[in-house]
Amino acid sequence: MANRVPIREGAFMESPAGGILLANKCKSCGEVFFPKAVFCLSCFNEDMEDLRLSRKGKLYSYTIGLMASMHFEPPYAIGYVVLPEGVRIFAPLEIVESKPFRIDMEMEVIIDKLWQEDDNEVIGYKFKPV
Amino acid sequence: MREVAVIGVGQSTFGKFPQRSVVELGREAVLAALNDASVSPKDIQVAYASRLYDVGTMAQAILKEVGISGLEMVNVENACAGGATAFRGVWKDIATGLYDIGIAIGVESMTTSPIARKLIPPAKDDLEGQLGLTMPGIFAILARRQMHEYGATLEDFAMISVKNHHHGCLNPFAQYRKEFTVEEILNSRMICDPITLLQCCPNTDGAAAAILCSMKIAKRYTTKPIKVIGSALLSGDYTYLQKDITISPLGSKTAKMAYEMAGVGPEDIDVVELHDAFANEEMLRYEELGLCKPGEGVRLVREKATWVGGKTPVNPSGGLLALGHPLSASGVRNIAEIVWHLRGQAGDRQTPNAKIGLAHMLGGAVAGLEAGACGIHILAR
Repeated sequence: MANRVPIREGAFMESPAGGILLANKCKSCGEVFFPKAVFCLSCFNEDMEDLRLSRKGKLYSYTIGLMASMHFEPPYAIGYVVLPEGVRIFAPLEIVESKPFRIDMEMEVIIDKLWQEDDNEVIGYKFKPV
Repeated sequence: MREVAVIGVGQSTFGKFPQRSVVELGREAVLAALNDASVSPKDIQVAYASRLYDVGTMAQAILKEVGISGLEMVNVENACAGGATAFRGVWKDIATGLYDIGIAIGVESMTTSPIARKLIPPAKDDLEGQLGLTMPGIFAILARRQMHEYGATLEDFAMISVKNHHHGCLNPFAQYRKEFTVEEILNSRMICDPITLLQCCPNTDGAAAAILCSMKIAKRYTTKPIKVIGSALLSGDYTYLQKDITISPLGSKTAKMAYEMAGVGPEDIDVVELHDAFANEEMLRYEELGLCKPGEGVRLVREKATWVGGKTPVNPSGGLLALGHPLSASGVRNIAEIVWHLRGQAGDRQTPNAKIGLAHMLGGAVAGLEAGACGIHILAR
């Protein structure tokens, strides 16, 4: 069986409810960072707390790529989703025929295989229309 | 700071020349600039060259071909803003009095680069790039948002490409000298929805060079020195600070710095060359440079205000879309274009009585940052 390797260690986790993105928040100014920042990039405070981001947010913008990118064969979708914590996350988007993308539609995080690299399955996060 | 002038510019023809080396392209541009300035190779005191791909110590490799050696040479890289960075390097050295005369070179051979015919690949630790974000992807996502926020249409974006291809027909250096209709542009191959092939800058080989000197000695060489009145270069800030991706703090901050240094405002600018890697990008830049109010880029396109013959021509050279985009060369090349307009030497695409012009470049995608770098120069006769 292939090894499952995360695209970025510590950026996401799987839970019974589905995928969760792991951020951190500055205890001083409240700025939220995804992926986690080593210290607050806004006020340089070093006191940070871990934060599990909401699983659902709104599609900010998107595109469907029809020219191959490094790991994805066309057609593939990518875009930004804004989560209630105020962070705008870039991610691949799952294409669902019955739910064409439109700005502001509700999206949720899923954890999925992104691509195969030798014996490794690279696992990462995506957003899927709810 | 001393006043600095551009006394000579030159560029190679832009196009696909897989049989020509970067040194050969660079030599063509340098010889054109030396000839334009009537400067002897032995007068050059400092050189900056920019390239993204190909071998190191590019300035030395090019300049040894034309009798220039044994002086301070610096090789810089700043993605598509590399040429603007090299130009600013020479400007700084002369403005601060370190040297009196120097040369800036930008060169790129995309057809012989490792990324020929491909999208620029992401770095290993570029999380967003690994997840599928590409240059056309970034601008396609922006285009969707421009349509949502400002009511921009596919036809508005295509019209910018129609304009720049029309301008390319007026420029003998251009890679593409062919008119296209809105329909042809919209019906060309889809790259990243809604951006089609004819709304993307092509792969291009080419080089450009500029010779700068202190205003004090400029009169030895020319009766038409072009003054560098504004120079600004900034790196992108964090994207988490950017609440709306269609509004660029990087572009407006860099423009503000350049305008303040120059002591002029957007209303004083007669001609603009800017980074139009994708057609819809040009509309965003109008707003950052202050050519119109925020949200009014669409109006400027529909009024045809930025065509040659319009109120403020933008990319009369044909821009990256039609003239072509050898990455590091473009930032020197678009300064050369402005110089020709200010001297009245821009031929069929001449901006009548141009007194002040602006050259803008944007470079690099860095995950978590708005962009790599933005460079703006304002020139005056």
